Amino acid sequence: MNPEIHEEEALGKAYDLHLLGRLWAYVQPYWLQVLCTVLLVVPIFALEIAQPFLMRAGMDGVFAEHGTLEHAPSGMSRVVSGLGIDRGLEWLMQPPAGLPALGWLAVLYFVSAVFAALMQYLHMLLMTTTGQNAMRDLRRMAFAKIQQLHMGFFDRYPVGRIVTRTTNDIENVAEMFSAGIVALLTDILKMIGFASVLLLVDERLAFWSFLAVPVLAVAAAIFRFKVRSAFRDVRVRIARINAHIQETVTGMKVVQLFAREDRNLRDFDAMNAGHRDAWNRSIHYDALLFATVEASSQMTIAIILWAGMGIATPGTLYVFIDLMRRFFMPLRDLSAKYSVMQSSMASAERIFQLIDTEPAVRDRPVEQLEAPSDRRGEVEFENVWFAYTPGEWVLRDVSFRVAPGEKVAFVGATGAGKTTIISLLGRLYEVERGTIRVDGVDIRAMAQRDLRQRVVTVLQDVFLFSGSVAENIALGRDDISRADVERAARAVQADRFIERLPDGYDTPIHERATNFSAGQRQLLSFARALAHGADVLVLDEATSSIDSETELLVQEGIRVLMADRTAIAIAHRLSTIQDVDRIYAFDHGQIVESGSHVELLAAGGLYQMLHELQAAGDERATVA
Amino acid sequence: MSSPESSTPDAALRDFSVGSVQHAVRRLWAYIHRHPIYYTVWAVLTLSYSAGFLLIPILVGRVISGIGDGLEIAAIQQRCVWVFVVGAGTAALRYFSRVLVFSAAREVEYEMRNDLFAHLQRLPQSFYFRWRTGDIMSRCVNDLNSVRMLLGPGLLSAVQTPVLFLFALGWMFYRDPLLAVLVILPYPTFVLIARYFGSRMYGRNLLVQQGLADMSNQVQEAVSGISVVKSYAMEDEQVRRFGRANDTLFARQISLVYINAGMQSIMMALPATAMFVVLLVGGSHVMAGTLTLGVFFEFTMYVYQLSFPTFMLGWTVTLLQRGAAAMQRIDEVLSVEPSIRDREVDPIESLRGEIEIRDLTFAYPVADVDREPALRDISLFVPAGSSLGVVGTVGSGKTTLASLIPRLFEVPEGKVFLDGIDIARIPLATLRKSIASVPQDSFLFSMTLAENVAYGDPDASREAIEQAARRAQLHKDVDELPERYDTVVGERGVMLSGGQRQRTALARALLLRPEILILDDTLSAVDAATEVAIQQGLSEVFRGRTVVVVASRVNSVRDCDQIIVLDQGRIVEQGRHDDLIARKGLYARLALEEQDAERASGVGEVA
Repeated sequence: MNPEIHEEEALGKAYDLHLLGRLWAYVQPYWLQVLCTVLLVVPIFALEIAQPFLMRAGMDGVFAEHGTLEHAPSGMSRVVSGLGIDRGLEWLMQPPAGLPALGWLAVLYFVSAVFAALMQYLHMLLMTTTGQNAMRDLRRMAFAKIQQLHMGFFDRYPVGRIVTRTTNDIENVAEMFSAGIVALLTDILKMIGFASVLLLVDERLAFWSFLAVPVLAVAAAIFRFKVRSAFRDVRVRIARINAHIQETVTGMKVVQLFAREDRNLRDFDAMNAGHRDAWNRSIHYDALLFATVEASSQMTIAIILWAGMGIATPGTLYVFIDLMRRFFMPLRDLSAKYSVMQSSMASAERIFQLIDTEPAVRDRPVEQLEAPSDRRGEVEFENVWFAYTPGEWVLRDVSFRVAPGEKVAFVGATGAGKTTIISLLGRLYEVERGTIRVDGVDIRAMAQRDLRQRVVTVLQDVFLFSGSVAENIALGRDDISRADVERAARAVQADRFIERLPDGYDTPIHERATNFSAGQRQLLSFARALAHGADVLVLDEATSSIDSETELLVQEGIRVLMADRTAIAIAHRLSTIQDVDRIYAFDHGQIVESGSHVELLAAGGLYQMLHELQAAGDERATVA
Repeated sequence: MSSPESSTPDAALRDFSVGSVQHAVRRLWAYIHRHPIYYTVWAVLTLSYSAGFLLIPILVGRVISGIGDGLEIAAIQQRCVWVFVVGAGTAALRYFSRVLVFSAAREVEYEMRNDLFAHLQRLPQSFYFRWRTGDIMSRCVNDLNSVRMLLGPGLLSAVQTPVLFLFALGWMFYRDPLLAVLVILPYPTFVLIARYFGSRMYGRNLLVQQGLADMSNQVQEAVSGISVVKSYAMEDEQVRRFGRANDTLFARQISLVYINAGMQSIMMALPATAMFVVLLVGGSHVMAGTLTLGVFFEFTMYVYQLSFPTFMLGWTVTLLQRGAAAMQRIDEVLSVEPSIRDREVDPIESLRGEIEIRDLTFAYPVADVDREPALRDISLFVPAGSSLGVVGTVGSGKTTLASLIPRLFEVPEGKVFLDGIDIARIPLATLRKSIASVPQDSFLFSMTLAENVAYGDPDASREAIEQAARRAQLHKDVDELPERYDTVVGERGVMLSGGQRQRTALARALLLRPEILILDDTLSAVDAATEVAIQQGLSEVFRGRTVVVVASRVNSVRDCDQIIVLDQGRIVEQGRHDDLIARKGLYARLALEEQDAERASGVGEVA
């Protein structure tokens, strides 16, 4: 295995304001909800602050009146009294007639608790719903984008990875909304709030209370530094593991046929153990941070008591202990939030990498698009060069013209570039040099949709989608009726086996189409091409693994299919190309011969040689 | 139901019906049970941690009492130092307890992932007929992750929180029984609330997981079939389909959000409610003189200490519910019995290669399609070292027959025999070692070309690999690959052409020196010249082996020692080429049609 190939690309700085900015674009449509979410922090904060002060009013005021403690002076600073807040609070603290002071305090406490919970509920609801809304949009956008990408992209990008992008990665980013960025911001705002209130109450005691904060800051910085590399290691490893499972499941038949299970399990175990060990490193730092926060929190209580002794009333000590506890609370699951942020950011980066991939094949702006004036079905290649990898030419200076209604065939050894012709004509790849024209217009100037409705391809590998047989013929085109589907199936004589299926045209097709034989799949793909109609039909030799009886049926069907249109056949077996008007022989990406069957045989070149080999093969196809 | 040889970690699992939550939990318990030391040490740590954690309110209360009682500064300071020391000590215990339980969770995750993988490799092809790849993947990735969360933070909180509550309740009861009972009272109501929310959350979580799996499948399909999507300009239709799955998932997630948010806010309101009780009842006790301010303070500190664990409890319920749902889905996979495995086997180490099938009728074990048998009343005998040709029309059962010999599907006993031994009595290792097969679809792995060829024998020498490649006419293509035999191919590597893939698959089979070789329509995508060259190489390989050639064309099997013609799952003709031609039946008709097809293209005349 070559590790570099499916290594997750090394990721840049995980916290990236740029990334956040891009994510914001998806959140922006829901700005009103975001605003409400942020505004809700204010009442939640006020209600939380109220609770320890109510408790202090009890300890220092109400209890003291009964002689348990000396009356302590209010610790509220001059700023608060200057604003008149203390007078407002005192008014609120006055119990209504007939209610004891303690009872009134308790009522206020209870009300603040209930309202805080209600606000909290709204806050969380808004926050998470917004995140999910944005993620739904992002997911739709990512999928639509993937559909537009050029074929070259799919050659390099494994299916499993694309699936991960649109599902797990987007889930990860959604997590950031509920447990990451918004929660983090809210926490920071609240912590600043708690600290300011404590400073207002007693700045000396506040100073002592914050003694542990620098220690925590250092611990968090070390943690952040250490855990990042461990975390990245984990992600790379899990991606490798999941890719391996996916591949093994897909190729399970081969695994079992070749009794590879034990060896596979050994390889898998090594990857799996590596992943576990990488995690254990990050667990260590995570627990260390957690313990540091907890130690700071408990030790701060001791410091407050030590420093507050003599200068503060029990009620004030209570306010400090309570608010410092609220101050440390968000820090407790900081490492969890940090992990969420890390993985969300990494996921966001990968999603954007995908979204940013520019399709190599793109439609021009609408005003520059050209549509051929008629649909005569003419194809022309003019000095076309093409390479999948730069420098390795698959097609060299290929030129030919197929007149409307003409039938041509391409022959040549495997890998000579025949199949590439099809891909280029359907504009699945862009030509390197030269021009391809359909009905006289450069295909780069046509809308892809327009082009692909004119040129229909029947590929070597028949892919069937989950859905019914009928749906696989119509492929979601509304203008193809059930009658059209059945007519197409009849024309290629696929109706024989379809009607034998349990539910006929409505029989579901399973993943990997395991309930259809290769021949049946090919017949279906013919019906599909026929139902869609086209001016130019491109046939990538699909008749080869069908038994002779079916092959005759299919060739009959193809004759019907080809009758009214231009047709290009890529032949691996020469018997397929019976009555074509012209044959092009390919060798190493170049057309070396062209002419009719008879002409080429007489010429005694490549075609004649291929032909003899084939004939000899058929004669001596001994295979035992 | 699981049996001892399967991957089931605990035989006790058999007492529960597969698919139930209990069954899943029992399986999870079996995994936990494998790590007694981890969990015992962790339990001890949790207990000592809880004790230290709950000592702090008492110590703080003593400081406040000290101030109230007007103790000397030094004495009070000493009490402060105790708070400091115990606080630091519990934090240290906390570190070890977290490391232990999380490591244990990772250990279980590791084992479960290995077991899942091993189990998947043991499951028969019929399983892969029914289960979609996306669904399997979602269980191996998302669900396993949820189980790990259940065992890590979930278990940590679920075990520790009750211990904390018991300790706290005991001490508070000792201090002031009435106040203790009233303070704790709001918490049990939590259990009722949790049950209410929990039952809803469970179902909704399952729905979300299914929604995710459905969506994965849709993406997987759209990407796998991208060439068709593009050729037929189906992009918009695909986006519409995806949009529907996306909206469904969204709606399910939102319904879960309501429950989660409700649960969490209640968890936050709980400590505040308890504090309200302390203020009201404790305060009146203080005013009545039955409670000192120091003990009052102690009570408030208890509520503090319990507030974070309580808050986490809401999250814990989510983790437990999600984890249980995930475990159930994993359990579903692990409980699928590998129907093809060694049961009572004879200790056979090698086979000669004689194949006998007696009166075999076979239907694919898929409920909703192909209800009719794919093969009916098949009987045949292939002596060791001879060749069998299998021809027939589309869907006549040729490939099915070929896949039953290496036992990819389970056949009833007494139907298929190799060397006269029932196939079920031959150890799978021996069976698969003795048979090499070239399946119709030539799947290659993301490894180097050499590793792919040596797939069945990873220790094969480079010479052996090259020789197999030469026989499959693959060797000449190797020079065109960027790193020759070390070029990575398959999904993540260089894309080979259909013909190159088929030849690699052929080389993979030829590398082994099997007693039985099965070729299932192997050379359909190979061009004429190459095919002839391959066939010349093959006749040498065939010597002395039993060979089964499945072909669409009569021409490919004409020299076989024995040919069977299949039609709708039945053998309709059997014999040698000349006999079958003479019989003027289906075989003769196929041969004639083939000749016609060739004559039409002019091939026959030249030959």
